[in-house]
Amino acid sequence: MKIRNIRFNKSMKFLTLLLASVLIATANAAIFYSMTMQPQVMVSTPVLKFSTAPDEPNGSTVEDAWCRLTAKSYPNATLTYEQAVYINNTDSDYAHSFMLKHVAITPANGNSAVGNWTSIKFLVYNSSGYVFSLNYTVSVPDWILEPSSGETNYYSIPASEGWWIRLETLSPAAATTGNFCEIQIEVDVQE
Amino acid sequence: MLLPELFAMLSSDMFLLLSLLTCLLEDKFPKAVPYVYQMAAVMGFGHLVVSRMFLTVFDEYMRFWYNLFYLAVALANVVAVNLYLAVSKKKWTLAKVWSSAVTFPTVFISIMLVYNYTYLQGATFPTLMLNLLLVLFVVILGISVTVLLSPKLFEKMRRR
Repeated sequence: MKIRNIRFNKSMKFLTLLLASVLIATANAAIFYSMTMQPQVMVSTPVLKFSTAPDEPNGSTVEDAWCRLTAKSYPNATLTYEQAVYINNTDSDYAHSFMLKHVAITPANGNSAVGNWTSIKFLVYNSSGYVFSLNYTVSVPDWILEPSSGETNYYSIPASEGWWIRLETLSPAAATTGNFCEIQIEVDVQE
Repeated sequence: MLLPELFAMLSSDMFLLLSLLTCLLEDKFPKAVPYVYQMAAVMGFGHLVVSRMFLTVFDEYMRFWYNLFYLAVALANVVAVNLYLAVSKKKWTLAKVWSSAVTFPTVFISIMLVYNYTYLQGATFPTLMLNLLLVLFVVILGISVTVLLSPKLFEKMRRR
């Protein structure tokens, strides 16, 4: 039987197209899947950046993506760092929201050393005034967070605008010099 | 998160569907049509390969637009086949079936995916062009449904 005698009828034609279609669809799906499974982690600068401010505490370190403020507190006197650190929205087109979220604090609750502080307040300001805050007050031997959830609401910084954190500290009259506490706060940014 | 290449994959599958359906209805279409659609589907595959190779070079904005263009071409073909059956071949019943079983679902799913994609991207794309394109599709779909439901409409309009 010669191959040319085989009639290339409709069902054969359809079968050929069907097989070709399955092949193409499978190849498409494989390529697409390989694209979805190709995560990219690109090093870039954060949209919301920290930057140094006029009242930055001595010995502080301020980098784009993190900062470490080494503040003091005085017995029976409120110490205020009016502009401790800036938070700048570097995006010139879009506003971005962020919140302050408590992560950790030492000395921890239950430790009598907590009594060396009365309050530590992180207040966020913009050019119009106060916006929101994350406060630590003391009810010996525990820290009381305000808001109690340990995280503020999200607030939106307009494009190309800079806000700042005002830091207020206060210790009781009987506080012992040389004690220190470490507070870790996360700035959660919606990029 | 949706990738814009989803539109290319969807379009390629649409061309494959068109190829198989036009093969089944071969007496109503020119012989070469199913193969032309197969070639169009292979072009979609090429589309995806190029996108994958240049993933880090092409930005998402560019990828979105060229994939959307390919989707628009595929949808235009679906609608064109529908109109061809209705207007040129005067196969009203077949055209109605095609409209409800092929044209409407593909247009609907495509619109839904495109809107979902732009929503997930936070509408960072200029949506005016996109909206106009989608409105155009809906208008074409509306006209085709109207014509199919009342086939003598064209004749009446012609007499006037």
